[in-house]
Amino acid sequence: MSEAVLDPAAFAHLLEITGDDLEFVDELVDTYFDDAVVQLEAMRQAAEKDDAEALVRPAHSLKSSSANVGASTLSEACRSLEADGRTGVVPDVAVRVADCERMFAEVRAALLLERASR
Amino acid sequence: MIGGRVLVVDDTAFNRRLLVRLLTSIELETLEAENGREALALLRDPAVAPVDVILLDIVMPVMDGYETLEALKTDPQLLDLPVIVITGVDELASVVRCIQMGAADYLPKTVDPEILRARIGASMSAKRLHDLERETLEQQRRLLATIDRQRSELARFLSPQVAALVSSDDGEAMLAGHRREITAMFCDLRNFTSFSEAAEPEEVLGFLRAYHGVMGPLIVEHEGTLEHFAGDGFMTFFNDPVLQPDHAARAVGLAVAMREHFRELSAEWRKRGHVLEIGVGIATGYATLGRIGFEGRYDYGAVGHAIILAARLSGEAAAGEILIAPRTYAAAEETIEVQPAGDRQLKGFSRPIPVYAVTAIRTKELAE
Repeated sequence: MSEAVLDPAAFAHLLEITGDDLEFVDELVDTYFDDAVVQLEAMRQAAEKDDAEALVRPAHSLKSSSANVGASTLSEACRSLEADGRTGVVPDVAVRVADCERMFAEVRAALLLERASR
Repeated sequence: MIGGRVLVVDDTAFNRRLLVRLLTSIELETLEAENGREALALLRDPAVAPVDVILLDIVMPVMDGYETLEALKTDPQLLDLPVIVITGVDELASVVRCIQMGAADYLPKTVDPEILRARIGASMSAKRLHDLERETLEQQRRLLATIDRQRSELARFLSPQVAALVSSDDGEAMLAGHRREITAMFCDLRNFTSFSEAAEPEEVLGFLRAYHGVMGPLIVEHEGTLEHFAGDGFMTFFNDPVLQPDHAARAVGLAVAMREHFRELSAEWRKRGHVLEIGVGIATGYATLGRIGFEGRYDYGAVGHAIILAARLSGEAAAGEILIAPRTYAAAEETIEVQPAGDRQLKGFSRPIPVYAVTAIRTKELAE
């Protein structure tokens, strides 16, 4: 991995605004996991059908929630997919969605590791 | 603490949970909707307590933020509800569009609770100010309706002209007193005293009611300013407060119409043995007009030579006679038929005055 999977500053911000309520942040992160699975599935289906328009919303959603938990790289990949989706043409869509799925797996692992290391 | 209810509209559970948590931490109540359609259903549900602010996501399935804003801003019940758009970092263009569509403000998705508190507080005060403004407008509308009602109520006690004058901008100056040429008309009944002695009181009142019922509408129709009704007599004048260049002719026209209408009325009473007739006096001249009376009871009245002369002529008039002063005759000459009724020596006037008795209105068109 050339870039960090998690941006510690973003995660710290999340902790800060919730008043350092780790329990709540954990719940929130679990919500993020559940949601990400749903959005990635929708993105994969859109990629299979090569439906650029159908890619926009799930990519948008995963972009913002990933940014919130500090998954900056995944968020950026989703942003790029969303932007291309809006133009109607998404080059290498299958590869890029697969990349997102891989990145999410790494983010998930990193977040769970962070939780386990407390 | 600001207090209030906030509706969070976002399709991702993550965002809703985070926002609800932040809002709860600043002691705001929350409601959640997954998209615009759900939000509108909640807002329109009478069983759901009203909300103070909406936090609205833009990209959502079913009904997105733009469509939701559109629906909110075209609903008279909801258009004043402040909407704060919640956005990601790269959505500034969307924010601009939302604000153009009527959104009050925008917030990033991960927001510091202090900023959230400040922005929601500001939106709610703006709404309260707006509500207050609307309430004030409503009060003003009610006040105006009351004034309108009072004015129409007033018109039942005053001449319509005087009622209008009281409510007009120059009303105060006019009421304070002014000089103007007017034509005054006095009318009372011949034989009324003997009638009221002979008849039962109920009969007298019944007659007066019928008499006023006939004369009143005629005065209104000819646009005379009724100064007072007193038993069998009344005084009305023309050319004030509303200017009437043909005031002399109008007064004579009213007198002739009254004489005609009174004949129908008196025919009924003649059958019962009471012979009643009107006697009318009309004079033209300068008078002082305005508020006359005392605190607690004022009339809009006229004082002057012409009024006294009209009263004297009314006293001089025989049954069914309309006596007019020379100035009235001169002013209305072209429209009326008269017979000279001699030079009369009247109480309070040093010299005899030539008097004319009106026989008819000359032309039908002018009598219209």
